[in-house]
Amino acid sequence: GDPGLPSSAMYPLEMEGNSNPKTTNKPKYSKFTQQELPACKPLLTPEIVIAAFALIGALFVPIGLASLHASRQVVELVHRYDASCVPVDDKVGFIQNSRTDKTCTVTMTVPKYMKSPIHVYYLIDGFYQNHRRYVRSRSDKQLRYKSAAHLTSDCVPEGDTADHAPIVPCGLVAWSLFNDTYTVRVNGVVTQVNKKDIAWKSDKNNKFGKNIYPSNFQKGRLIGGATLNESIPLSEQEDLIVWMRTAALPTFRKLYGRIEKDINANDNVTVVIQNNYNTYSFGGSKALVLSTASWIGGKNNFIGIAYLTIGGLCLSLAMGFLVLYMVKRRNFGDPSNLSWNR
Amino acid sequence: MSIVQLFEVAIACDVVLCCRVAPLQKAGIVDLIKKRTSDMTLAIGDGANDVSMIQMADVGIGISGQEGRQAVMASDFAMGQFRFLVPLLLVHGHWNYQRMSYMILYNFYRNATFVFVLFWYVLYTGYTLSTAINEWSSVLYSVVYTSAPTVIVAILDKDLSRRTLLKYPQLYGAGQREESYNLRLFIFIMVDSVWQSVVVFFIPYLAYKNSAIDSASLGDLWTLSVVILVNIHLAMDVIRWTWITHAVIWGSIVATWICVIIIDSIPTLPGFWAIYEVMGTALFWALLLAVIVVGMIPHFAAKAIREHFMPNDIQIAREMEKSQDSRDANQPEVQMSTSTRA
Repeated sequence: GDPGLPSSAMYPLEMEGNSNPKTTNKPKYSKFTQQELPACKPLLTPEIVIAAFALIGALFVPIGLASLHASRQVVELVHRYDASCVPVDDKVGFIQNSRTDKTCTVTMTVPKYMKSPIHVYYLIDGFYQNHRRYVRSRSDKQLRYKSAAHLTSDCVPEGDTADHAPIVPCGLVAWSLFNDTYTVRVNGVVTQVNKKDIAWKSDKNNKFGKNIYPSNFQKGRLIGGATLNESIPLSEQEDLIVWMRTAALPTFRKLYGRIEKDINANDNVTVVIQNNYNTYSFGGSKALVLSTASWIGGKNNFIGIAYLTIGGLCLSLAMGFLVLYMVKRRNFGDPSNLSWNR
Repeated sequence: MSIVQLFEVAIACDVVLCCRVAPLQKAGIVDLIKKRTSDMTLAIGDGANDVSMIQMADVGIGISGQEGRQAVMASDFAMGQFRFLVPLLLVHGHWNYQRMSYMILYNFYRNATFVFVLFWYVLYTGYTLSTAINEWSSVLYSVVYTSAPTVIVAILDKDLSRRTLLKYPQLYGAGQREESYNLRLFIFIMVDSVWQSVVVFFIPYLAYKNSAIDSASLGDLWTLSVVILVNIHLAMDVIRWTWITHAVIWGSIVATWICVIIIDSIPTLPGFWAIYEVMGTALFWALLLAVIVVGMIPHFAAKAIREHFMPNDIQIAREMEKSQDSRDANQPEVQMSTSTRA
C-alpha cells in the first residue's frame, strides 16, 4: 500500500475498496485520535448567570460584614516620632553624630480597652526594602552554613572588610538593621515588651544557623544601623531575623515585641525612644504602633469594604440580568435566529 | 482580452469553467486571483498537470489514485477522493480556525496578565524592576503552570459537531468573516488582561499597605492568583469538556500550588517558608477569593451578554445541538453503528 498517505482527511464513515487488513491504510481507531472522547458541553443559560451572581453576592456580603466588624474591633495607636524627636533643623547631622542625646519621650492615651497580647511595631515609610540592589545584597547560604561564611560575592559593598575578611552576616539588608529601642510605661509603671518569638519559627530553626555568630559586623566606616552581640548565635538574633524578611512595599511595619498585659481605656502610655535610626537622609519617616490583633490581622477596613462592595455589585448584577432576560427574551436554540434564516 | 478584463469577468461570476488549459495556465488562473485579491485560494487536483496549480495556491490538495502520486507529493493535504474536500473545509477547516484563533488570543492574554502584575509592582519598588515573585516561579509559569491547558484546549476543543457543520455549510462563513480572530477581539482580550492584572496587584496592595507583609508572601499570592485566574478564564471559554481537559486545567492549578510549596521549602532561598506562613492567615484566603471573583466578573458578564443578546451563528448552532442531544437522549430507539460520528 501507500506508506506516506496522511490520514488527516480520511472520511471514516464510508470505507470503500479493500478492507483486507493487509492492504488497508485505515489508522487504528481510538477515541482520542478521532476526537470522539465523551464530553460535556455546558452552555451558559440565564438561570446559571443569575444564580452565579446571586450566590457570590450572598457569600460575600456576610464575609464583608464579619471582616469589617473584626477590623473595627482592633485598637491601633500610631504615633509618628521622627520629626518631633529631633528638635534641630539639621536632622541628618544630629542623627549621624554619635555624641548627641537621642532619647525622646512620646505619650499616648489609649482610647479603648486593649486586650493582650498587644503588638508593638515600628512603622517605616519611604524605605524601599524591595529595591533590586538591596534585595539581592545578602547571602542566605552564609546565614545557615558555617562553611559558607566566605560566600559574600552578592553582598558587595558590605561583603568583606578592608582586610578581605568576610562579614557575617554580610550584605546591605543586615547592615541596615533598625536600631531604635522602646521602653514602655503604662501609667508610670514599666511594662515589659517581650522580644522573644517575634520572628518566624521556621526562620529561627531552619534558616539562621545555631552555630553561626556575627563577626566583623558593622565595623566599617559607614554605620548603617544596629550592631550585633557577637556571642549570640544568629538563630537567636530575632531583631535581625525580622528585619531580614524584606518587606514587599515601601511603607511597612515590623514586629518589635509584644506587651503581655491588658491596657485599659484612658490609660497613659509613655514610651521612651532611643531615636538612633537614620531615616532623615532619604526623607523617610518612623512611627511607633501599638495594636491588638484579630482573625483578619491588623486594623484594615479595606477587605471588609471590598467584600461588601463586590457582594452588593453582584446582587445588583443578578437583578439587572433578571430584568434584562425578562425584557429581551430569546428562544433557546431557535433555528430562525440563524443569520441566513432571518 | 487582457488579464485585467479576465479577472473582472471572473470575479463577477459564481463559477468559472476553464477548459483545454495547460498546466502553467492553471497556475496562472490561481495567481490571477491571488495577486488581485486578499482572498485565500485553494487548488485541488489529481494529476501531474495539476502540480504547478497546487503549488501556486495557498492551500494545495492532491488526490492520490488513478493518475499517480505527483499531485500528492506537491500538496499540503492529500486525500483519496474529491468529495473529501467537503469535510476538510467545513469540518476540519472550521475547527482549525476556531482553535488557532483562540489559542493565539489566549496566549497573549495569559502572558500579558502575568507581566502586567509585575509592571504595576515596578511603581512601588522605586522603579528598580524587582519582582516579588520568585525567579523559579517566573520560569515555571510558562512551562508548568499554564502551558498544558493551553495546548490541550487547542488540540481537543470543538465548537460544533461534525454533523452540524456538514448540515449547515453556511457556518463556514464564520471563518470567512473573521469572527474568531480580529482586532476588536484582541483589544478586548488586552483590556481584560490589564483589568485582571490591576485586580491581582491592587486588591492585595490596598489590604497589605502599611502591614508587615514580606515580598515572598506577596509574590506567592500573586503567583497563585494569576495562575488560578488564567485557568478559570480558560475554563469559562472551553466548549467541550473531556476528562483530559479537566485533568490539565485543575491539575495545573494543583501543580502550581505544589511547586510554590516546594520552592518555599528550600532554606537557602530568601522566601523560605513564606507560603506556609501566609496560608495560615485568613486574610490571604479572603484576598485570593476576592481577586478571583473580581477578576472574572467582567469576562463572565460580557460572555453572558454576548451569548444571550448578541448570539452569532455558532452560538445558536451550539444551542440547537444541545436541544437535539436532549431530544436524542429521550428517543427509545438508538441506532447502533460501528462507524464513527461525532
